[in-house]
Amino acid sequence: MRDDARMGWPPGFADGPRGRLALLTLSCLRGITPRTLFKLAWGEGTAAASLRAIQRGQAGSASDRSWASEVDPDEVTDKLKRCSARFLANGDPEYPAELNDLLADPPGWLFVRGQRLRAGDLRVAVVGSRVCSSAGRDIAFDLGRRLAGAGVAVVSGAANGIDAASHRGALAAPGPTVAVLGSGIDVFYPPSKREMLARIEAAGTVVSEYPPGTAAEPRHFPARNRIIAALSAAMVVVEGAAKSGSRISVDHALDLGRDVFAIPGPVTSPLSETPLELIREGATMVRGADDLLADLGVAARIALEPPPDLPPDERRIFETLVEPALPDAVARRADLSTPQAITALLGLELRGLVRVLGGRYERRLASSAASAEAPE
Amino acid sequence: MTVLGVGGSPIAVEAFVGRGLPSFTLTGLPGAAVTDARDRIRPAVEHAGLEWPLRRVVVNLAPGNLRKEGAGLDLPIAAAVLLATAQVPDHAAAGWAFAGELSLRGDVLSTPGILSIAIAAARAGLEGVVVPAANAVEASQIDGLRVVGARSLADVAGFLRGTWNPPASTTDHQIEPVGASEVDLAEIRGQAQARRALEVAAAGGHNLLMVGSPGAGKTMLARRLATILPALTREEALEASQLHSVAGLLAGRGLLQIRPFRAPHHTVSTAGLLGGGSSVLRPGEASLAHHGVLFLDEFTEFRRDAVEALRQPLEDGRIVLTRSVGSAVFPARFTLVAAANPCPCGYHGDPARECGCPEHRRSQYRHKLSGPLLDRIDLRLRVPRLTKMELMGSEAGEASASVRERVQAARERQRDRYVGIGVLCNGHLSGPAARREARLAGETEALLERAVDSMALTGRGFDRALKVARTIADLEGQERILAVHMAEALSYRSGLEEEEAVARAG
Repeated sequence: MRDDARMGWPPGFADGPRGRLALLTLSCLRGITPRTLFKLAWGEGTAAASLRAIQRGQAGSASDRSWASEVDPDEVTDKLKRCSARFLANGDPEYPAELNDLLADPPGWLFVRGQRLRAGDLRVAVVGSRVCSSAGRDIAFDLGRRLAGAGVAVVSGAANGIDAASHRGALAAPGPTVAVLGSGIDVFYPPSKREMLARIEAAGTVVSEYPPGTAAEPRHFPARNRIIAALSAAMVVVEGAAKSGSRISVDHALDLGRDVFAIPGPVTSPLSETPLELIREGATMVRGADDLLADLGVAARIALEPPPDLPPDERRIFETLVEPALPDAVARRADLSTPQAITALLGLELRGLVRVLGGRYERRLASSAASAEAPE
Repeated sequence: MTVLGVGGSPIAVEAFVGRGLPSFTLTGLPGAAVTDARDRIRPAVEHAGLEWPLRRVVVNLAPGNLRKEGAGLDLPIAAAVLLATAQVPDHAAAGWAFAGELSLRGDVLSTPGILSIAIAAARAGLEGVVVPAANAVEASQIDGLRVVGARSLADVAGFLRGTWNPPASTTDHQIEPVGASEVDLAEIRGQAQARRALEVAAAGGHNLLMVGSPGAGKTMLARRLATILPALTREEALEASQLHSVAGLLAGRGLLQIRPFRAPHHTVSTAGLLGGGSSVLRPGEASLAHHGVLFLDEFTEFRRDAVEALRQPLEDGRIVLTRSVGSAVFPARFTLVAAANPCPCGYHGDPARECGCPEHRRSQYRHKLSGPLLDRIDLRLRVPRLTKMELMGSEAGEASASVRERVQAARERQRDRYVGIGVLCNGHLSGPAARREARLAGETEALLERAVDSMALTGRGFDRALKVARTIADLEGQERILAVHMAEALSYRSGLEEEEAVARAG
């Protein structure tokens, strides 16, 4: 019907100070869906006209109508200032044009905190279960760290589990990361992730479609997922049960024509359902950050080989540590005494090359991914 | 003689038999069990072929301000009545203490606390004690005290009349407290790190936390810690045996010969763990583990208040109980060994089985494994469940006896070093003292600096590592803590702190 829909919202929709205030008011309405508002926008042409239509009751719900007259844009502006957030209208220079790939419901605005979103930045979404296995969390952390280390921004939803692990990996790199919230831009949810979100704001960007003070509601999350998908050039699914929220994100990504990657897991694990299903459907299987970076055509910046200046004992241990092992077994394999081996293992651990899990020593994922063995 | 807490107190029992309607009055603050004696003693006396006076009988227990408890006063009361009725010669009982419970048939029954009573009798300068035959071995552990083990009241009457000769005193049957345990460290295959950690715990008197999946062998390991602790000295054996005697657990044996190993079930009450009781104060599991090992399996399942109450004995080596009946001090210096699963399902970190716990449940669980008591546990250890390959590839372990020799040598080194500060071993050092006594080699300081930075060691974690490293150096006979010692100390980890750190920040 409208070929120019691809262009996003009507040109000049929120131009001028009045237009901007009208758009800000529109952003505070809770009843009208982005899709309906988008249609209305194309019918009315400007934000002010759309707002009037809602106030007159020609569009939106009754509660929107009362909301529309109650919202005080100055107060919202104040709140934005207090959390040092900025309001981007669709079409603003910082507004990511990729979001207009959402043909039916591109966000008309974004609230943004932290670093600038720049056109041309490569962003990849990492998604997966909130309830994840520790292996899943390690993989997500590693993906986040390696992607961000290679300069690729990690996009995720700041939820528990895979989301948080990928953000934290990116922060650890340190590198860029973008958190897309399902709550108001000043509401850091879940509470356990407040500190992490504060770090993301400092080192990366926090984005939300919702005005200050909006609580996280279940219906926000699928809408939030469309933004995660649209912001990113590709999406990796780490773990997800059947019919999970990750599946919704993937469907958005596929609709948008984004590349979808999946990390396989054991067929016996319910958390492998979504990734394995996606692989069957044609998603690209990746074993970790190396595969992903290769497929994205990005050169990894993190060294895969042990640093050349490793002391001889540590090098010997590192080279023989091909699978998780108890300290005495490590010593036997490297032909060292147990105290020698423990000292070298501690050295490797302090260098971040080895870690202890459940009493056994193993190479950290980042380094073992380089070897021929598939990481556990 | 009666027992209050763990110590015995001499009680003077006087009987008056005079004119009046036949009656039996007991004065001098008798407790419930002592009051019972009134009805029990008369049939016992008559069954022993002796005569119960059909007159007014008053028995007084002095001192009157001390509440007397337990059935052990049956025998002295009966003896006092026999003396008062001149059925046995006057003065026959001078210099002798009596203790024992009577049955209606006149038998002298096994009675708890006889060891304490014998100690108190010796301290009071008495010549000897008349005790139940079943407890005679216990009493005969005390030097310079004659012991008569009586089977029945008739025996006691015969002894006082000089017509019954007790079996030769068993004083020379003293058993030296060196004995073989029925378990040995050599029985544990694999788990080299855990075996070594036990050695370190024993050498430094460190408390130990073992975290591992079900079936990893935590209980097996804990049980064997008692076998590598230095052999009980005679004083230690006496103290520990006294507690067992008071609890009625010595059961006809002499002194404890091996260090006690107590493993109360996690449903134990605070009173059961620390001691208590409404009329008689009894020692709890912590005191029964005195000079031995207190093992708390499924540590997270124990009542939090009971477990936290263990802080007092861990710091002072004793438990002070104050109840309406009086207060008592029970010694309780033990090595605490706590064991727990790594997560609610038990399989986190296990290579062979998937852990099914969501992160927040694991986090709640880790929270249970923290707190003031846990801060007093220097050594934390992950005990992995071994794979078949690991089991087969490992050589048999060293026997307890040879490990114990090294432990003993390390303990002596510590005793000599701390002679001025009143501490026996590294495990009992305070944080500041640990930092003062550590004696780090230069290379060790550099290593520690790196470790503090990248392993997120807390102040307390730092002190704990220092103490453990000090013990490792003592085991190796080194004056200074070398880097290898510190590396080993830092390698003992439950794995939970790291998980917590990852969950919180990483």
